[in-house]
Amino acid sequence: MAEPCGLGSGPSLMARFLVKRILSAVLTLFAVSVLTFLMFFALPRDPVSGMCPKNCNPERQERVRQELGLSDPLVDQYAGYMLGIVTGRDLGGAQGGRCDAPCLGWSYVNNEAVTDTLVRVVPVTLSIVVPAAVLWLLLGVGLGLVSALRRGTWIDRAAIGFTLAGASLQIYFVGAVLLLVFVYTLGWLPVPSYTSIFDDPVRWAGGLVLAWLSLALLFSAGYARLFRAQLLETLNEDFVRTARAKGLSGPAVYGRHALRAAIAPVVTVAGLDVGAALGGTVITETTFGIQGLGRTAVDAVRAGDLPTIMATVLVAAVFVVLANLLVDLLYAVIDPRVRLS
Amino acid sequence: MSLSPGDGAVRVPIGPGGAAGGSRGRRAVGASPGQLVWLRLRGDRTALVSGATLMLFVLVALAAPLIELAYGIGPQDQFQGKLDGFGLPLGHAGGVSGEHFFGLEPGLGRDVFIRLVYGLRTSLLVAVTAAVLTAVIGVVLGTLAGYFGGWLDAVVTWITDLTLALPFLIVALALTPTLTLRLHGQRDAVPPAFGVGVLIVIFAVFGWTGTARLVRGQVVALREREFVAAARASGAGPGHMLFRQLLPNLWAPILVSFSLAVPQFITGEAALSFIGVGLTEETPSFGRMIYQSLGYLQTDPAFVFFPGVLVFALVFAVNLVGDALRDALDPKSPR
Amino acid sequence: MRPRVAVAVSGAFALVAALSACPANTGGSPSVDSGRQPTGVIATDPKDSTGPAPELAGARRGGTFTVLRETPISHLDPQRTYSFAGLMAVPLVARSLTTWKDDGAGNLTLVGDLAETPGRDVNDDCRIWEFTVKDGVRFEDGRPVTAREIAYGIARSFDPDLTGGPTYLQEWLADTPQYDTAWDFTANRGSLPPGLTTPDARTLRFEFARPRCDLPFAASLPSTAPLPPDRDTGVNLGNAPFSSGPYKVTRYRPGIEIVMERNEHWDAGTDPVRHQYPDRFVWSFGATPDAAANRIIADNGTDRSALSWDYVPASLVARVAGDAALRSRTLLSPTPSANHLVINNERVTDLRVRQALNHAIDREGLVKVLGGPHVAVPMTTLMPPATIGHRAYDAYPAGPNGDPDRARELLGGQRPELVLGAADSSVEQQVATQLKGNLERAGFVITIRNIPDDAKFDEIKKRGNPWDLYLSSWAGDWPSGASILPVLYDGRAIRATGNSNESYFNDATINAEFDRILALPPSEQGPHWARLDERIMREHAPVVPLYVDVAYLVHGSKAGGAFVSSVFGYPSLVDAHVEP
Repeated sequence: MAEPCGLGSGPSLMARFLVKRILSAVLTLFAVSVLTFLMFFALPRDPVSGMCPKNCNPERQERVRQELGLSDPLVDQYAGYMLGIVTGRDLGGAQGGRCDAPCLGWSYVNNEAVTDTLVRVVPVTLSIVVPAAVLWLLLGVGLGLVSALRRGTWIDRAAIGFTLAGASLQIYFVGAVLLLVFVYTLGWLPVPSYTSIFDDPVRWAGGLVLAWLSLALLFSAGYARLFRAQLLETLNEDFVRTARAKGLSGPAVYGRHALRAAIAPVVTVAGLDVGAALGGTVITETTFGIQGLGRTAVDAVRAGDLPTIMATVLVAAVFVVLANLLVDLLYAVIDPRVRLS
Repeated sequence: MSLSPGDGAVRVPIGPGGAAGGSRGRRAVGASPGQLVWLRLRGDRTALVSGATLMLFVLVALAAPLIELAYGIGPQDQFQGKLDGFGLPLGHAGGVSGEHFFGLEPGLGRDVFIRLVYGLRTSLLVAVTAAVLTAVIGVVLGTLAGYFGGWLDAVVTWITDLTLALPFLIVALALTPTLTLRLHGQRDAVPPAFGVGVLIVIFAVFGWTGTARLVRGQVVALREREFVAAARASGAGPGHMLFRQLLPNLWAPILVSFSLAVPQFITGEAALSFIGVGLTEETPSFGRMIYQSLGYLQTDPAFVFFPGVLVFALVFAVNLVGDALRDALDPKSPR
Repeated sequence: MRPRVAVAVSGAFALVAALSACPANTGGSPSVDSGRQPTGVIATDPKDSTGPAPELAGARRGGTFTVLRETPISHLDPQRTYSFAGLMAVPLVARSLTTWKDDGAGNLTLVGDLAETPGRDVNDDCRIWEFTVKDGVRFEDGRPVTAREIAYGIARSFDPDLTGGPTYLQEWLADTPQYDTAWDFTANRGSLPPGLTTPDARTLRFEFARPRCDLPFAASLPSTAPLPPDRDTGVNLGNAPFSSGPYKVTRYRPGIEIVMERNEHWDAGTDPVRHQYPDRFVWSFGATPDAAANRIIADNGTDRSALSWDYVPASLVARVAGDAALRSRTLLSPTPSANHLVINNERVTDLRVRQALNHAIDREGLVKVLGGPHVAVPMTTLMPPATIGHRAYDAYPAGPNGDPDRARELLGGQRPELVLGAADSSVEQQVATQLKGNLERAGFVITIRNIPDDAKFDEIKKRGNPWDLYLSSWAGDWPSGASILPVLYDGRAIRATGNSNESYFNDATINAEFDRILALPPSEQGPHWARLDERIMREHAPVVPLYVDVAYLVHGSKAGGAFVSSVFGYPSLVDAHVEP
């Protein structure tokens, strides 16, 4: 660990911290891309065979393989792919011709540029995760707050018990039951589907609300527990006691000081969770039949669709890495006790 | 907690300085920490009830072959004669009877009860072993990073970030069949233990990051404390420092992350079954049973109910015990 | 928290009690009519090929007909499509040289679609074929379809960039499986492949080196759809095929939906099979078969005029079949997809072992595993009952539950150790478990070896693959024995990879029979194929026939006119309409 240095120690430190973190993030993404690439070539699935159905023969398969560049040395293939992201590249007639930067390749399974696939599925995953995260944060922090304020009482126990029970359920189970009851039997909610929020916000919300609720139920437990513990701890800390001693009233203490300090770790965890969830909520998407980033990635692995695997994994990794970075920064802003290291 | 995208797994977070908020002040109490925790747990009725439930589950899992002997039905035995033309069990509630306590599976007509008993065994084996491995990896890496700092710390931190950035389900989906193909002849039977092993390895490889971060934080804090500094000043070697001075102070966070990891892996196994990886048909497991049962919500609800409730009960019990443990370990706990 | 635990426990008991209160399942056996006799002819009267198709009683124009399907259609490009969904969807936007008149009950007539007749065999030797293009067939921009556009469509199917799609015409014209080396499309865009000519604007002429009696059938696949060269957008054609059918694609969102709206230039008077009832078709992708079935059953909103493309999942069959109110909203029909337990004949060389395998199978139990007779019907022949000329027989009578004793007798005390390669998909794992039970009962020792689901398809097509047994299914591209038996059992075609002959069966006498029957006029072949089917089974038992898939589909209360295609076993939409 480097020497401790507060946020106030000057912008240069902050800049150094940032540069270090960004370099590390780039290195992480590089490693992720290499690992994914290698993983693909270890797969027992030959991508070419899928494009060459019933009457295929080895010669034709070989031709398709060459056409797609799958018989080039691995290093060339990798370099070509990564370079394409920056400069764009020419993929040849079978793959839609010229592919402009950021070129993530051509999916021979979906028969479209992978960039187009991403433009379609990333908003879906964002629409599932972001509102769900707001919901689970509100629910988690709310329950945590209530149980901290009423600690030791039955309310405290009920709140924590509720969240733990929620966390013990599984989304495909909850999802299947909710779907059967509220959608198919009672007809209170529309069939889960994705509509762009810009086209029709009401349908957007209606189609995703079940997914949000299920995710919130599962995720809120950890936040309730964490926030409760944090709040109880900070209420005992010196600066809060000082604030009390200064004659500040209860709400002011809670609002201005204790909450602010207790929320920091919650933000950390939330950032990481959201980052990870943006990488794809495979089970949620499958349960509710919505095609987001996660399901697209799973389908791509099943079909041996290298460009789509690379792109989805990279985008997921970017979300995680960005979340990590943001959390570090936010943490520095929110918590005055932070150390940059 | 990197079972990302972990929407199938419970992702109870461990905050920095959270439940395992450090060991300061603990030594001031008269009773030893272990005794103190035990006293606290004994006073917690929830902990006792859920702990007893958990013990029961473990006993059932351990005694599975004995139960099979007493029950008289094996996990692979089929009773298709007791199914109707659609392959659904005849009789009440999915074929529940004195002979088949929880009824029969639709289709193959195997006994649900005995498969759940064996499934419990599989799930607990996977979850507990993976959690132990996770803890070991996490503690070793976290301690090394925290104690030695410098480039070692940087490397471990970076590997942690990398592991977090790799999508768990995708890698598992890609690796499971690949490993099977590479490590077994094409005509060899793949023993069920291999599938279980692969699952454990995958969980271990992806699950250690939380523990490592937590332990690293603890070690960094401890390193600067008086008793460690004193030991170092008196010329203790790194081995002594790590095992005699640091480890005894780390058991609280280790236990906490262990109690979080177990339910995570139980549900993780189920999540993997959901996307079609994991154990084979011949190995009874909770995940596979739940996954296959969901479609029968309308035609054979009992088949959904028994595995679903059992998994919920198991995970809930582990979560409750874990929660109680965290409270008991937390010196500032109000309870 | 103890009270909560108590609540949970008592809740669990209450639920068990509630479950027990449900009426007991006392059985009763569902039945599916699978014994229908398929007929199939090639129209000889040109009037059969003229339009318009007879109006459907009660059908009305207007409305939106929705099709729900889990996976997107892989290609809408007529020259590239080869999936069942593609083969059923593309005819809405593209016409082919010939097409099937189908009543959905197995009565099939092959008629001319773009052509006035289903082809003219000029010298009665199946080597030279001529098609005359109808007058008044038009593209979506109003220009007439001529022989040149049809020829260009066939020419572009030689393009190696346009992967997928059937390859019959290419291989027959070039007289080699390496057709794309024999004639390079990209270098010869202005010309036509060898053997294909357009003597005038309305005549298309095929000249083959060998007799190709099945050409009229092969011409019914969408790869004979026309395309003006100036409208060829290469790999992107699938996003917006240039329409010659009653509908045109107006919105294409990959992976989400395809919207097809009326093509005003389509003339009903020229089309013997299609209608143009709905204003639009919407293909909506993503809903799992489970979700789709539940949506249709619920019958709300736009789902009322929707059809679930995917069959009712096994777990819901009892729900749908048991609901009398749903009866009018289901389609039920056996399909031409035949499922076999394929025996690797290069490994299992002992005929008695193969016969014992045939005696050992409990087909009734197998059907239960699959979900009952609405999902599968037992089969003991090589060709599915939906094949023209099919005749039922049972060479190795095993009763409904298998005859392990007879199997043991044939094995004569040996206990063959066989490896069953099974995909790791949920259904196939269960089927494999079931078969293993059956076979071990009869004295076999079976090891199930899992193969990744997507890889299995290719792996079992490799000669010398390491497994003794595997599950496989086959549906011919047209309902003639010619697209089944020689494809699956002609040993001369066995190569290193990509084999359709997955049993690696090779017998000179049988091969000669293939040649003899293939040279007969297609309309006479039926009974010959049926006799050969039985002969192969009795003399060689190269596979264990298991079952044919049954199509069981649900549609909304306002979705009318869909029927199960007798050719492909999936819904045909030519009569689809939205009821008021």
